[in-house]
Amino acid sequence: MSSRQPLPTVTPFFADKQERLSEILARYPEYGRRSALMPLLWEVQRAERHVSEARVEEIAEILGLHATEVKGVMSFYGTYHEHPVGRYHLQVCRTLSCSLAGADTLADFLEDELDLVNGETDPEGRFSLQYVECLGSCGTAPVLQVNDTYFERVSRSRCRALLDAMRRDTLPEPTLERGGDNEPNAPDQEGGAA
Amino acid sequence: MSDTASSAPKPITSRFDPRFEPTLYAHVGVPGSHTLSYYRSHGGYEAASKALGLEPKAVVDEVKASGLRGRGGAGFPTGVKWSFMPPVDGRQRFIVCNADESEPGSFKDRYLLEDDPHQLIEGMLIAGWAIQATIGVVYVRGEYYHAYGRLAAAIDEARAAGILGRGVLGSEFDFDLILHRGAGAYICGEETALMNSFEGLRANPRLKPPFPAQAGVYGLPSTINNVESFCAAVHIVARGAAWHAAMGTDDSKGMKLYQVSGPVARPGVYEVPMGATFRELIMELAGGPSEPAKAIIPGGSSTPLLPWSDATLDLPMDYGTMAKHRSMLGTGGVIVIPERKCIVDAYYNVVRFYAHESCGKCTPCREGSATWLPKMYQKLLAGQGTHEDLALMEDMVKHMRGTAFCPLADACAMPVQASFEHFRHEYEHLVDQGESLYPRRREWAA
Ligand SMILES: Cc1cc2nc3c(=O)[nH]c(=O)nc-3n(C[C@H](O)[C@H](O)[C@H](O)COP(=O)(O)O)c2cc1C
Ligand code: FES
Repeated sequence: MSSRQPLPTVTPFFADKQERLSEILARYPEYGRRSALMPLLWEVQRAERHVSEARVEEIAEILGLHATEVKGVMSFYGTYHEHPVGRYHLQVCRTLSCSLAGADTLADFLEDELDLVNGETDPEGRFSLQYVECLGSCGTAPVLQVNDTYFERVSRSRCRALLDAMRRDTLPEPTLERGGDNEPNAPDQEGGAA
Repeated sequence: MSDTASSAPKPITSRFDPRFEPTLYAHVGVPGSHTLSYYRSHGGYEAASKALGLEPKAVVDEVKASGLRGRGGAGFPTGVKWSFMPPVDGRQRFIVCNADESEPGSFKDRYLLEDDPHQLIEGMLIAGWAIQATIGVVYVRGEYYHAYGRLAAAIDEARAAGILGRGVLGSEFDFDLILHRGAGAYICGEETALMNSFEGLRANPRLKPPFPAQAGVYGLPSTINNVESFCAAVHIVARGAAWHAAMGTDDSKGMKLYQVSGPVARPGVYEVPMGATFRELIMELAGGPSEPAKAIIPGGSSTPLLPWSDATLDLPMDYGTMAKHRSMLGTGGVIVIPERKCIVDAYYNVVRFYAHESCGKCTPCREGSATWLPKMYQKLLAGQGTHEDLALMEDMVKHMRGTAFCPLADACAMPVQASFEHFRHEYEHLVDQGESLYPRRREWAA
């Protein structure tokens, strides 16, 4: 203990969340303890919008792994962040079906409006912009994922309305879009509540 | 089979056949359809009870006889796959659901997960019984957060109702599910990469053999299927193999969730019997293209495109026909490419996807998909390509076929080959003129 130089200011993330930690570990069989790695990364990231080195070490210790093993897994995936993303993490799909529906123009629009390029976060920590690949929403393209929520059929006016709402910190609930066999109701304009 | 065909009723190959009714997708979009009470009031878990009253082998045989082929892309016969499991020997066995849906143009599984999670749970319970696996794993792609929440709630409901856990549905059989969330990597859809990912490892594919039935999750006997395959199994058990086999063509039975995206009047998911034509799907159900079209991608971006023509529109969308036309049914994710989209630009987009998703493990994919192909496209689109570059690209994709560790490199190379085959003139125009035949469009709905 004393020979190590732990980061003294950092309280372990799971220090006051033992119950939650046990619940996650208990999902997997004893011999498959390592399966909890991704859920633990998610748990931290959800609360802190990134997974810091200290958290990586904490998770490694919980699972009896080396920090490099945890880091190796974390870095494999596109959605774990080493640095904090903004409170509104805007993820724009630019894959083929979305591109055909104007996603490249949508991406340019967001760059201009937010004065950010792909991968950046603004100085206030409000917005991050990231280009992503197909989100499985090709029939309701183009799609903008804000944190964990999909906003679909994002037209220029809808996009503007969403940005305004986020600037006021009043992100609306998304409308569940279905398309195809389930197309009774047309999308509304505000990108918002049904 | 064929000599009795004259007297047997004609197979159902059209949505407009009065004998057809939607099953898989019947409840998607209905408010409240994700709840147990809704599911039960529509006959939910009756098929599972029925299956639990049969010998496991009888369930496998029923699924074999139904002609169901895996809906995850490769079309492997589901019942046959289930029969590959080794004899029960006391080791833990797993049934795994691939809900990583990430092939561009595919979005059917998401709606099933969000609006009908109990249908999947029931399908996995049936499959678990059939292969005698007491643990099921559902691997959901990280972006499907809403689906994850719906599924988690459905699993809780099912546990509380005795549908999961010890002695499910009043039987002697124990069965429970582990819900696991991915984190944004297409390669996790490859079944062995998925298993590595589930185990908390980097998601590199594993060498096959051994196949999952021999050494799957944690090295234990496992069977993996797509979301739609499990859901189809529910209806096969409920209505019988013959009901399922009455739909479709010789090599493709049952119903299928096709997806349409691109510029059509009504994009989305449509449940149609196998063997329905592109015309029925695109022109009649999806309302036809909203602008002149020049190509159809039949089953997700990795499947080779077919030129837009009357002949193509009349092709039945089944495994054999697509293979005969050197394409694939894939996930059934149809993408319509409009006339005014530059094919080189469109395929740069496709290649960029596979480049981004290559895991970097093996050389043909790392150098081909991830490095040189996208660079060549960038050079072409910058107006600096030569005819030698075109020849080099064609040569390169040839060498990416069948040489990589997993099929991701093929998924990248195949569609590029087809784009050269059918639209070489657009590549040549770009080389000769230094600009695209169809300039980049900046259109976006107001
Ligand atoms: C690169 C790659 C990505 C894949 N992605 C998926 C996927 O997202 N969903 C899926 O069900 N199958 C996917 N597959 C196919 C799976 O490996 C596997 O064959 C399938 O899940 C088996 O289920 P089925 O027999 O029910 O189709 C992918 C295969 C490869 C090579
Ligand atoms: S292409 Fe954007 S969601 Fe599929």
